[in-house]
Amino acid sequence: MLANRKLILAHFWLAFVVFGLALVLGAWQMFIRSPLHTWLSNPEWYYRSLTAHGTVMGYVFPTLVAMGFGYAISESALDQRLVGVRWAWVGFSLVVLGAVMAMVPVSLGWASVLYTFYPPLIGSPFYYIGVVLVVVGSWIWVALMSVNLYVWKQAHPGEPVPLAMFANVAGSYLWAWTAVGAALELLLQIIPVALGLKSTIDAGLARVFFSWTLHAIVYFWLIPSYIAYYTILPRAIGGKLYSDTMARIAFILFLVVAMPIGIHHTFADPQVGAGFKFVHSAFTALVAVPTLLTVFTICASVEIAARLRGGHGLFGWIAALPWQNPIMLAGTFSFIMLGFGGAGGLINMSYQLDSAIHNTQWITGHFHLIFGGAIVIMYFAIAYDLWPHLTGRELPSLRLMRTQLWLWFIGMIVTTFPWHWVGILGMPRRMAYYDYTSPALAADAVPVEVSTLGAAILLISGLLFLFILARAQAEPATDVPPYRFSEAVHPPASVPLALNSHGLWIALMIGLTIANYGYPIAVLTARSDSSVPAVYVGAQR
Amino acid sequence: MSTRELFTFRNPHFTVSVAVTVGLLLVTALVGFIVLPFAQRHETFAGVWDAICSAAGNPRVTQQGEAAPPPAKTSEAVLTSTTLAHPSQQSIGRGATLAQRCAICHGPTGISRADSPNLAGQYASVIYKQLLDFRSGARTNAVMSPFATNLSDQDIADLAAYYAYLPRLPAYHPEVQLPPTRIVVYGAPLRGIAPCGACHGSLDNKTGSPWLEGQSAAYIKAQLQAFASGQRHNDISEQMRNIARAMTPDEIEEAANYYASQPPEAIQRAD
Amino acid sequence: MSAQESHDSADVAARVERRWATISVIIIVVMAIVAAFAGIHQVTMPQARVEIVDPSRLHLSGEFAEANLGSVAEQDGSVTVRAIGQQYSFTPACILVPAATPITLRATSADVIHGIIVQGTNINTMLVPGYVSNQAMRFDKTGDYVMPCQEFCSFGHEGMWGKVRVIDKADFAARAKNGGRLSCVGE
Repeated sequence: MLANRKLILAHFWLAFVVFGLALVLGAWQMFIRSPLHTWLSNPEWYYRSLTAHGTVMGYVFPTLVAMGFGYAISESALDQRLVGVRWAWVGFSLVVLGAVMAMVPVSLGWASVLYTFYPPLIGSPFYYIGVVLVVVGSWIWVALMSVNLYVWKQAHPGEPVPLAMFANVAGSYLWAWTAVGAALELLLQIIPVALGLKSTIDAGLARVFFSWTLHAIVYFWLIPSYIAYYTILPRAIGGKLYSDTMARIAFILFLVVAMPIGIHHTFADPQVGAGFKFVHSAFTALVAVPTLLTVFTICASVEIAARLRGGHGLFGWIAALPWQNPIMLAGTFSFIMLGFGGAGGLINMSYQLDSAIHNTQWITGHFHLIFGGAIVIMYFAIAYDLWPHLTGRELPSLRLMRTQLWLWFIGMIVTTFPWHWVGILGMPRRMAYYDYTSPALAADAVPVEVSTLGAAILLISGLLFLFILARAQAEPATDVPPYRFSEAVHPPASVPLALNSHGLWIALMIGLTIANYGYPIAVLTARSDSSVPAVYVGAQR
Repeated sequence: MSTRELFTFRNPHFTVSVAVTVGLLLVTALVGFIVLPFAQRHETFAGVWDAICSAAGNPRVTQQGEAAPPPAKTSEAVLTSTTLAHPSQQSIGRGATLAQRCAICHGPTGISRADSPNLAGQYASVIYKQLLDFRSGARTNAVMSPFATNLSDQDIADLAAYYAYLPRLPAYHPEVQLPPTRIVVYGAPLRGIAPCGACHGSLDNKTGSPWLEGQSAAYIKAQLQAFASGQRHNDISEQMRNIARAMTPDEIEEAANYYASQPPEAIQRAD
Repeated sequence: MSAQESHDSADVAARVERRWATISVIIIVVMAIVAAFAGIHQVTMPQARVEIVDPSRLHLSGEFAEANLGSVAEQDGSVTVRAIGQQYSFTPACILVPAATPITLRATSADVIHGIIVQGTNINTMLVPGYVSNQAMRFDKTGDYVMPCQEFCSFGHEGMWGKVRVIDKADFAARAKNGGRLSCVGE
């Protein structure tokens, strides 16, 4: 049952439109810094574009997708009209208001500080307040997800919570807690300085706060994709989910261990003790567990579908899979990119290997492969899968969808593999230009050109995606069956209390965060002599 | 949902998950806070407690080794983004009185007819810092140094506030407005030269760096050469010497001529 | 499918799943042990202490005053390099060090966040204003290395490149004889 289609469509459309805009900026940036373009007469334009690209892609786009998909899950998985629709619109409006408030100063060049903020550089206060509003809007969604699950549980005492909703609510709690780090940084540190109420700021503490958000936010981006692996992919290819319990455990593990590991982003920082760096490094390794579990469960589910379709043999079943199905294709591409990206992540998580590639293009390659690749391609799949149910119109061409997905996959590989390579060569990220004529950088030139080609492919794919969605609106209305999620091979008759509720895991998440972050934050907060004068960007122009 | 059923050691999920989490924390903490610190060859710790405190990141203020004595006087000015940010009307007024003795070289409106720098509308922190440096001897000039010697801190702040307050006027020696050259717009990244405007106002202002539009070409050139040779060394931590040393004589010439030919409107008013 | 068969297949499924979960955990544990082992045996650990310094007064006195920046030979045969990052240069702009010698880099920022990466090496550290970065280095080969700032530090970031020059150990010792702080600035 999808009763509030307009609400969900509003989220998705806004998400994908801002995604399209940010994609254009991204492609432009890659062109600018490649040897194909001479230097930019004003490097600030590059940093301005980079700020806009990062802010939209990191904070606005995935948040809107998670929110829209979350509402869709709540209505269809629980088979229950969304409770608090008016609040949902309030949340949406706050996200829109915040996004506009943040992007206006960025467009004017008043806040070219990049989406990671990194004080003591300080931009326009409206930029930061806008970002806070986006987060506050999404917190309304978190509350609504919780309320809707509560209402359903009251009506269905003791019944297993449908997996999609269980995961969706876990993701919303993860986001609520993850966002607290950046929210504290913005509210307690940056915004008072941006407003001129204070003139000094602890740059090291700000980085610790930001790492609290910056790592786990990836898992918040990831959760809709994982929900799609578990609850859309098996159904879409005519199979069943291998195991409901394992899926729950995977999401629970994300909830608990995604959070207290962010200090691996500050391995090279002077303000965090080596002991905490090691603890976070070890816990970062742990976050690979839910992904490894997922790889198994999804591969097994896909194999079930293939065998149901008559596939046989040790690997022969792969040929029997419905490759013409865009969801199948997206899932496969996503897994491949997740595999490469995950392997890169294992390098980032170890202090010793990280020092070779910290803050180089390798990192940019890594998170584009994981987020832009593995995650976003599943956002496409989610949109393709949901669209007929949201619009009441069939998407006309499977071939076009497959082309779009192929282009995205190829484009992402072509973009990010050379980035990884030049990162190993030591090319720093976030620079408005490079002098490739220098012998020291000459080896970077060809890989960077190749990656620019990848960017062009990605841009074409992204625009094609928007075209496919838009064209569906012109199709004749049809009767679309109710939206449903995959069933497990062995549907759970009853689920243990701990696996049917989030309380225990939230407690562990908060407890672990306090154990892993409490001291580093407290010890820096307690000192006033580690604060430094703010440097206002563009202040005296 | 019954919280009591969930948070009890009778619930195996609770017991196992809490035990695993606490166990992992303990093991990793043992390795991270005790085993690894002592494995480091370079560091010596006073004891286990010192190792734990260091690994936990307890900050301390340290001073390693003995600092070498400075071969020449360097700047003692301390500048932050809020230095002289909000001057009072009184300060500007006092500055105007004091500035009468500056007019002979720097012009009654703060625009020099000679090759002395124009000061009208210059950033306050710039004038403040240069006067402090002339007074301390970090920067020396036969004409300027005697003027600065007797200025009080308040005099310096007032003069800076006054000149920053003056309107930016066209200079006396503008020639044809020249197009920017490569060194001005792009710098030379691999030689460590950022675009001039990244500090000098047209892109952004680094506190203490002047805007240069309309300054005399001879003055800019002389200063760049003095920075390059190290004869002028009052730039904090060599921030300008690093750049000037890496510039070629031609680039110095181009940059000086470019800035001399620019109208002051290129820099917007600071508020 | 009877209830019995369904029950059996569920058991099989659960058993396979448990095995895979065990393998996953073993992979993770092995990785963590490798990381700890590398930390102990390769002695590649993050800096041991957190040290605080006031960035706006670095130039007035102490370790990061202008005259004290550069390389100095220590009694124990090692070399200490002191450097700062600022918008938009490193001082010294060219760092001079001997080959095949343990080196400690002590560096900090005078204004905003910067970073040091020496291309072609594992030398990579953030410079956070207010804190002192401490990094062990060692170069086996002589030669010139480029050292860009690796973190966005405002609009001149792309122009912030330093250099490291590694010279023969004996040459360095000869130069260090007269005392003072060495660098390859202006060479």
